[in-house]
Amino acid sequence: MQLGLKIWRYDSATGERELREYELEAPDEATLLDCLDILKDKQDGSLAYRKSCRMMICGSCGMRMDGAAVLACKTRMYDIAQEGRVPVISAMGNLPIVKDLVVDMDPFWDKFKAMWPWLQPGYDRPEDGREYRISQERMNVVHKEALCINCGCCVSECNAMESDPEFLGPQALAKGMRFVGDPRDGATVERLERYSQEHGIWDCTRCYFCNERCPKGVDPRDAIAKLGAESIRLGIDRDMGAKHAKWFVRSAETTGWLREEELIPKTQGYASAIKQLKFGASLAKHGKVRPVPVPHTAKDVGEARNLRKLVREQDRQGALGHVQGEKALERLTHGHIDASLEEIYARPGAAPRPWLPEVEEEAKA
Amino acid sequence: MRAAIEAFDAGADVAMISKLHPTRSHSGAAEGGINAALGNAADDNPEIHAYDTVKGSDYLGDQDAIEIFTAEAPGDIIQLENWGAVFSRRDDGRLAQRPFGAAGSPRTIYSADITGHVLIQVLWEQCCKRDIPVYEEFFAWQLVENDGRCQGVVCWDLLHGGLKTLGGKTVVLATGGAGRQYRVTTNAYACTGDGMAMALHTGLPLKDMEFMQFHPTTLYPTGILLTEGIRGEGGYLINKDGERFMKRYAPNALELASRDVVSRSEQTEIDEGRGVDGSILLDMRHLGAERILERLPGSRELAMTYAGIDPIFDPVPVRPGAHYHMGGVETDNDGATEMTGLYAAGECACVSIHGSNRLGGNSLMETITFGRRAGRSAAEWALANTTVEVPAAVERDADARLRELLDREGGERPWKLREELGVSMLENFAVFRTEEGMTRQIEILEGLRERYPNVYVEDKGQVFNSDLTQAIELGNMLDTALCMVTAGVVRKESRGAHARPHDYPTRDDENFLHHSITRWKDGGVELSTSEVRFTQWEPQERKY
Repeated sequence: MQLGLKIWRYDSATGERELREYELEAPDEATLLDCLDILKDKQDGSLAYRKSCRMMICGSCGMRMDGAAVLACKTRMYDIAQEGRVPVISAMGNLPIVKDLVVDMDPFWDKFKAMWPWLQPGYDRPEDGREYRISQERMNVVHKEALCINCGCCVSECNAMESDPEFLGPQALAKGMRFVGDPRDGATVERLERYSQEHGIWDCTRCYFCNERCPKGVDPRDAIAKLGAESIRLGIDRDMGAKHAKWFVRSAETTGWLREEELIPKTQGYASAIKQLKFGASLAKHGKVRPVPVPHTAKDVGEARNLRKLVREQDRQGALGHVQGEKALERLTHGHIDASLEEIYARPGAAPRPWLPEVEEEAKA
Repeated sequence: MRAAIEAFDAGADVAMISKLHPTRSHSGAAEGGINAALGNAADDNPEIHAYDTVKGSDYLGDQDAIEIFTAEAPGDIIQLENWGAVFSRRDDGRLAQRPFGAAGSPRTIYSADITGHVLIQVLWEQCCKRDIPVYEEFFAWQLVENDGRCQGVVCWDLLHGGLKTLGGKTVVLATGGAGRQYRVTTNAYACTGDGMAMALHTGLPLKDMEFMQFHPTTLYPTGILLTEGIRGEGGYLINKDGERFMKRYAPNALELASRDVVSRSEQTEIDEGRGVDGSILLDMRHLGAERILERLPGSRELAMTYAGIDPIFDPVPVRPGAHYHMGGVETDNDGATEMTGLYAAGECACVSIHGSNRLGGNSLMETITFGRRAGRSAAEWALANTTVEVPAAVERDADARLRELLDREGGERPWKLREELGVSMLENFAVFRTEEGMTRQIEILEGLRERYPNVYVEDKGQVFNSDLTQAIELGNMLDTALCMVTAGVVRKESRGAHARPHDYPTRDDENFLHHSITRWKDGGVELSTSEVRFTQWEPQERKY
């Protein structure tokens, strides 16, 4: 296939930045990484990018295509070439650029290390010198978080980090959840105290860009939500973010609608809320809040209450209350998975049904 | 990382040097699992594991090393689990174990199909816990030899540019394999045999280099690995007629025969016209969606991304691809090489526990068990001995060589040589080998090595000059490839991964039950042999 790429080149020695356009010939199955290799080999040896496994497990080749983070090795280019589109390739966001598509990962790893990213064994260590006995179901709580390959795509896209560079960010927090959710870890409270501080769990803006852009289905935003749920379950709820979230739940379960007028006092405290009256008045003036709250109970409040009841009955407290995996599975599935084997074998163009040949007895012996 | 952790725990002052961030290493791409005789899924013990490994090695593995390996493996697995490795579980909460090729019992511990990934994460976590410094994106180029000892490494700092020489009382090589010598390989771009080449160029022996394992199930056309765990979970191999042809080659073990056997069977099917576009088919349709999604989700994603095939509905085209170097830097059972102060562990080393063919699941285990042993012995030596001295001349000489390479104002781009190397190795030194092909390959390699001093590095900058490091990697691959083929020609027998069906179709214990040793001398390869160490198993015919 014939393909065009526009690449943001950057030279940190001179500070020069330039959008350069390339044309290349690549095999139909080529990924973005294959295309960059062709360019580097045959057109411009100075093009810099990271790569290694080319099978979406090492996490080296995170970069942006048309402004969205991708793993270059996961991105097939055929459709783009057919459309005649010329994508713009640039380095990941939220991290300093070193050269071309290579970013400085030090800030990323500093945040990773701030999470105490290692298991802190609890008191129930197996006494027989063997492995911990844990059900698969229990381990599944951290299944998605354990998939993380540290590629940085989520960090690149994180809106909260853009406004607060010190925000721990989706990757580090997902790593935190990987330990908070692990029944072998004995430092849950200390971890949650730490992760709940400023720049932590509650500073996430819930834009879901990290979930959207994660190439491995880790869903970091879900991990952050689970950390929040665990914090509240364990009473680590001094942060305004936690109070804010609690009020949403309380409000939904009592009257079935969000009582915004009470939200600020419940979150920030009454003293702070009074200070914000002027802001509130301004909101009211622009029609953003109703001037006089009308107390009522929503018609379908029963549904919200039943949902809460269900979660309680199933004893899905904290992180367990967060529904697992649906999105990751949805991303993988297509077609009709409930087809029977006979139907699968009978599909048009299907490969032949497997059969075992007869083998003469002496060969078996 | 395992060696660094152990050395740190032994009290040594330790740092890691890596051309990639540690979690980017190719161990992370291992999928299926790691072998230890825990006996969770069925009766098993280290002795059966040892026997399977000896038999799998086609009796070329050193049996004392194998016995140490299988005896210590279970303890190492428990330690990894206690450190937090996210392994898959049985219903009773213990670690799950799945069947793997040529194993007498289901002994492969796994984490769905991302076992290498979870191991690399847990080791990195433990390195973070100990705050072990990492010289990240330092490209190790030359060993510092002084006073008959290895006393450090000369590196190129990829991120900032410039040569950096790091002194050390002991150095442990853990640099992995060199699968990039082949055009079809499961290996990462980083697998270019740098550690083997460094040792070779320092005068150290490489052992059993002719044995390159071809993995039976690499995805067509890219060579990306599809785990043996797929067959462990019950996947079939079929030819274009749907026949499970393995019945004709390994009537008992079928798809779960050892890797050399399965790769040869596939290649025979393809060569005899029963393949599909140069591949055979890996069929998991009968496993059902649920099992595939639970146990093999990563493999499914790989097939869908790189071949556009959903294995729930269609079989996946696969073929044998270069996967693993059984050979490497010769070490003793504690990872020590011939040179004082230099140790090696993992794929770059040859202890040898794999002999002429490695069993699936044994390589991850080897990195852990022998990584630990090498780290321990390297630390003990370092703590008992005092001085480090790096002569100024070492970096000066290295700098002169580097200047020569960087200052070249024209010549051939490395990719041409790299492609010729990859294509010719696949043609002449792959699953089946012939005298003629190997002789031709030596000529090709000599030709490439003659052209190599003219390769042209286009990038003249200091910052992230991967054009430079790729040129150096090419040189490493050429020299180690020459060792492989040279050792292959003189091994006039078929053993494990070294198959010569046309001229020497059988194993010849009388003349070739020995290790091949290759050394670098006067710009070429010097051959010799060394004894295989036996304990309790006499060579027998190998059947699956």
